[in-house]
Amino acid sequence: MKLLIVEDDADYAAGLKAEMEALDHRVTVAATGPAGLTAVEREGFDAVILDCMLPQIDGASVARRLRAGGHRLPVLMLSALGRSSEKVGGLEAGADDYVVKPTPAEEIDARLKALIRARGWTGGGETDTLAAGDIVVSPGQHRAWRAGEPLDLTRLEFALLAELARHAGSYLTRAMLLERVWGYDFEPTTNIVDAQIRSLRRKLTVAGGEDPIQTKRGVGYMLHR
Amino acid sequence: MASLRGLTLVFLGAFGAAVAGAGYATYSASHRAVVTLVDRRIEEVSRALLDETRPGDAAAILERVRLFAGRRETGDIGFELEDARGRWLGGNVHLARVIPSGFSTLYRRDRIVGLTAGRALSRDAGGGLRLITMIETEPVDGYNTLRLRNYVLGFGLIALVVLAGTAGFSLLIRRRIAEVRRTAEAIADGDLGSRVPVDPAGGAFAEQAVSFNRMLDRIALLVEGIRNVGGDIAHDLRTPLARLRSRLTRLVEAAPDAALAQELEAALAQCDEMLGMFAAILRIAEVEGGDRRAGFRPVDLAELAVQIGETMADAAEARGGRLVVAADAPAIVTGDRQLLSQALLNLVENALAHGPAGTMVRIAVAQRGDTVLLSVADNGPGIAPADRAAALRRFGRLDASRNTPGHGLGLPLVEAVARLHRGTLALGEAAPGLVVTLTLPRGPTG
Repeated sequence: MKLLIVEDDADYAAGLKAEMEALDHRVTVAATGPAGLTAVEREGFDAVILDCMLPQIDGASVARRLRAGGHRLPVLMLSALGRSSEKVGGLEAGADDYVVKPTPAEEIDARLKALIRARGWTGGGETDTLAAGDIVVSPGQHRAWRAGEPLDLTRLEFALLAELARHAGSYLTRAMLLERVWGYDFEPTTNIVDAQIRSLRRKLTVAGGEDPIQTKRGVGYMLHR
Repeated sequence: MASLRGLTLVFLGAFGAAVAGAGYATYSASHRAVVTLVDRRIEEVSRALLDETRPGDAAAILERVRLFAGRRETGDIGFELEDARGRWLGGNVHLARVIPSGFSTLYRRDRIVGLTAGRALSRDAGGGLRLITMIETEPVDGYNTLRLRNYVLGFGLIALVVLAGTAGFSLLIRRRIAEVRRTAEAIADGDLGSRVPVDPAGGAFAEQAVSFNRMLDRIALLVEGIRNVGGDIAHDLRTPLARLRSRLTRLVEAAPDAALAQELEAALAQCDEMLGMFAAILRIAEVEGGDRRAGFRPVDLAELAVQIGETMADAAEARGGRLVVAADAPAIVTGDRQLLSQALLNLVENALAHGPAGTMVRIAVAQRGDTVLLSVADNGPGIAPADRAAALRRFGRLDASRNTPGHGLGLPLVEAVARLHRGTLALGEAAPGLVVTLTLPRGPTG
């Protein structure tokens, strides 16, 4: 992917750039909001990583100007503070996602990929059925099937499967699943995501078939397409 | 230190006594003055009347009485001449009562026409005769009533002014105290931006409010400084830790043999533990900042408890124990769903971590009056009452739990969340085991 990092902390930007490049991205760094906006106008990027606290104009204003300029590319906000008010402000300004520094590069990578994949969706919404391999999930009916056989899932397992199916083919990190399935903005000491994935796996494979969920250490989980 | 109410009552009591004392003193002084003047006049008139008659000559004395009664300057004086046996011999007044020799006081009950109060002098007129001379002590009719009315009006008005002043004054003080109290409570609840309103008209209270606010500014600055230091340290240490973590993650994958991979896994776990600790420090700072109150919404604790029961059931079973949830009816509070979830998760994690394998944990949600009780009970070793305060202290790990994972920030975070919701956290005895109860104000129903 071709990424733009808008970040005034040169050390942090350089570190993140190196890490993202190690994950096979091409990265450009802009130190200020106006420089970032100019860069987006000049060349096409696949996504922007935008720091919340920038000199001159802040991250939320940059996001707002991007949207006002008609740019629909995914914007991921980076925050040093992680205050909920800051998060709400960033999302309202038009950012797509929000992470608190220091977030591992793998997490940022997974989130950006999920955002880009989500851009490919063609409207529809929750009532449409989701399919991933031989798994079908119907959020509207709150039911799921594997190879035509209905699955008996708890509410949490269902929500987890639906989220994985919605992003089938992309890795979802633990933090992303905690946010989207549980609604948590924190990581509990107990690995509750792993526990739910384990029991979901059990139920998906009880009638035979390959394990459809792939785990990538330090990154997260992916449902095969 | 006396209370404001007590002080006011003592003041009003003293004031009342002073008014009554002053009234009585004035009344009795003027009364004594009148009596003294009247007595002197009676003495003079009666001596003048008897001076020019022979002692014992009743006819001559009565002649003098007639003369005196007719004179303008002595026309208001009553005379009566009695014989030795107290029989009325003559005079312009008939006193029914026998009075002793010397001065006496006359009252309305003596039934002398036109006299309500007076003085009388009975003196020897020679030959066993007694001359009684009487004068009114009331210069006008109903003088006593009039005097009483003057006192009541005069002193009553003063009393009224003082009472109104006291009431107004105490109202003013009460209002100022209430303003200061509200501010102090807001500060205690974590709103460090709250200040005492300053009366633009100035005055002592305004000066006090300004000083108080300056003190609060200073405290806010210091607290902010401490918070920033804690936050900055946690934040600055988190960045290199995160780098270390991602490097370790890559190393685990590339490890050539299982033994090394296991070592690296252990290092990774320690990394996560430290990151967890910093996250908890930053989280407590965020909660104590109070900003999250802006996002408060109605939250059903029963529903939340059920979700956490479902989430943590596996973790409990993995330790051979069980997690049950007793939350039948909706229990709505106004709060932050994420923080309440985190608090409850922390409590369940604590119960599982500190109990032996096979620990039973019970989450219960109940309404009591205007509060909602959220409790987590276990049948583990519990915490001795003497150790409970230490358990709530930051990094306050008990000796018994030194060997279990955790950073000693779980309960302090839960307590900060309780405080943010204007609730309380209490540790109790579950006999056997520990019961931790969060008491939160009930939110709007429906």
